[in-house]
Amino acid sequence: MQRITIDPITRLEGHGKIEIFLNEEGDVANTYFQIPELRGFERFCVGRPVEEMPLLTNRICGVCPEAHHMAAAKAADAVYHVDPPPTAKKLRELLYSAFYVTDHTTHFYALGGPDFVMGPDAPVAERNILGVIHKVGLEIGGKVIQCRKYGHTVVEMIGGRKVHPCTSIPGGLTKGITEEQRLEIEKMGRWAIEFAQFSLKVFGDIVLGNKAYVDLILGDIYTHRTYSMGLVDADNRVNFYDGKVSVVDPEGKRMGTYAPNEYTDWIAEHVEPWTYLKFPYLKKIGWKGFVDGKDSGVYMATPLSRLNASDGMATPLAQAEYEKFYSTLGGKPVHQRLATHWARLIELLYAAERWVELATDPEITSPNFHTVPTEKPTEGVGIVEAPRGTLTHHYTTDERGVLTKVNLIVGTTNNYAPISMSIKKAAESFIRKGVVVSEGALNRVEMAFRAYDPCFGCATHSLPGQMPLQITIRDAEGKEVEVLRQYC
Amino acid sequence: MTRAIVIGLGNPILGDDGVGWRVAEEVKKQIAISDQPLAIEVDCFSLGGLSLMERLIGYDRAIIVDAVSTGRQIGAVSVASLDDLPNFSSTHTTAAHDTSLQTALGVGRKTGAHLPRTVTVVGVEAERVYDFGEQLTPAVEAAVPQAAQRVIDLLRRKE
Repeated sequence: MQRITIDPITRLEGHGKIEIFLNEEGDVANTYFQIPELRGFERFCVGRPVEEMPLLTNRICGVCPEAHHMAAAKAADAVYHVDPPPTAKKLRELLYSAFYVTDHTTHFYALGGPDFVMGPDAPVAERNILGVIHKVGLEIGGKVIQCRKYGHTVVEMIGGRKVHPCTSIPGGLTKGITEEQRLEIEKMGRWAIEFAQFSLKVFGDIVLGNKAYVDLILGDIYTHRTYSMGLVDADNRVNFYDGKVSVVDPEGKRMGTYAPNEYTDWIAEHVEPWTYLKFPYLKKIGWKGFVDGKDSGVYMATPLSRLNASDGMATPLAQAEYEKFYSTLGGKPVHQRLATHWARLIELLYAAERWVELATDPEITSPNFHTVPTEKPTEGVGIVEAPRGTLTHHYTTDERGVLTKVNLIVGTTNNYAPISMSIKKAAESFIRKGVVVSEGALNRVEMAFRAYDPCFGCATHSLPGQMPLQITIRDAEGKEVEVLRQYC
Repeated sequence: MTRAIVIGLGNPILGDDGVGWRVAEEVKKQIAISDQPLAIEVDCFSLGGLSLMERLIGYDRAIIVDAVSTGRQIGAVSVASLDDLPNFSSTHTTAAHDTSLQTALGVGRKTGAHLPRTVTVVGVEAERVYDFGEQLTPAVEAAVPQAAQRVIDLLRRKE
């Protein structure tokens, strides 16, 4: 058996490692996507007051601290059986919308977009944001930086500091915003709407205007017919901050919706011997292995699945893009994973519109931003949509509110099974006898999971932290035949 | 006048990954009690890539203190110019979902941001960066004063 290792994956945090095993004929026998997990967070939290969780959990991850802050705040509300006042919920969602704009922008221009803007076969040194600026124009770099600055400013105004907000407490927030701040937030939000429309135009011109890319997106290589999951509001429209979790089957039929405290009735976790990370699946369907279809409990939780699991977007411009998305791609649901990049930009537009909606809400500057908890703390679950999937925090405390049990299902974990399936399928298409293993082909394997925007390791910054990308090919006896390196 | 910043980089609750923060705090303390004052800013930060670049805007000189994993003795302190470190497109000074610090600095400079001419990295060899905890391992803990002194020496040296 031959063995090909892609280690580590470029542009992905957390030392992910792909091993591709080839058979005697040189075809793909199996693929394994291994993730060394950060250890002990849930244990580390036990014994601490639950109100510390919005501060502690946003240190789990350097990518989406705001998502952890919100899920923790909602779980802490539930633990104390307290319903925050409307202004608090709206301020949290406003902060969260600004965060989404920042996060989705960064992903498109720096991580997922370069594959399309530069092309999947472009040299690795050019497939980054500098390459995008070089190709599309300097103006785009300035806009990305501006967008990030505005997003960070809103997070700081409402959350008390940039990136790692600190103002959510059980029952609401520690502070509100002034009319002067509201005006500034509204102005920045209107700019963000224009920027999101500009980004969708870039996508339309560069990706949808290129037949080769459209064929790549619509092709079978990146298609998996699984269940889709996403948070929806009372009208079953996409919502990032609140609502119930909707699940639709591979034909697009809604299987049901569940409230945060019902998640254990819906989600179970499968264990494989070759990885520490567990594979969540739909409990009502059951684990049938790494397979597609209605009988398999594998589901995805991504921008694409959120669109599939909803009946539409709650804002007008995003709704128009939602309709265009499904009419262009042949109806609902869409299973082509590369379409996730397009779905992400539709969400970007929705987040920007929602940002302005909330910034112009008459209640947003109200001083009524906290309800004092009066009930005895017990147990609670908080769910938000992190940019990279449904995020669930589940806490149990003693009567003082001190944590006795913590369970987290983070965004990417939901997608571990579909990511593994996508990698195998992409590998089967690009690595087979007669096909030379080239950097471009291997990048297409990486594109399979990059669409999911996975994030496994969190906020570790040790230097240099990276080995050159090394591909080792072994023969049937395990002997090294060839070693390819990208950075040496 | 040259504007300089010292950034302790890392995650304060992820074992030895928090050493950058500890060194930055020690630098702050040493400067405060020194009879030779230094007009610099000291900050703790948890992000790489574009976010770190954005934090460096407005400064002429930057020193980043971080945990390193290079296979040397645990606690060993090293100094390198960022330009001499390999520009990998993932992990660590790279933020998880954007790009490496070097590429981010390139983006910032291209778009007209005022960024440090030199970025120096002071590294402390780490042992455990994958287990949550607020404690440093003893050898890393013992290296904190030495690493802080290296930062202060660098600051006192003219570029």
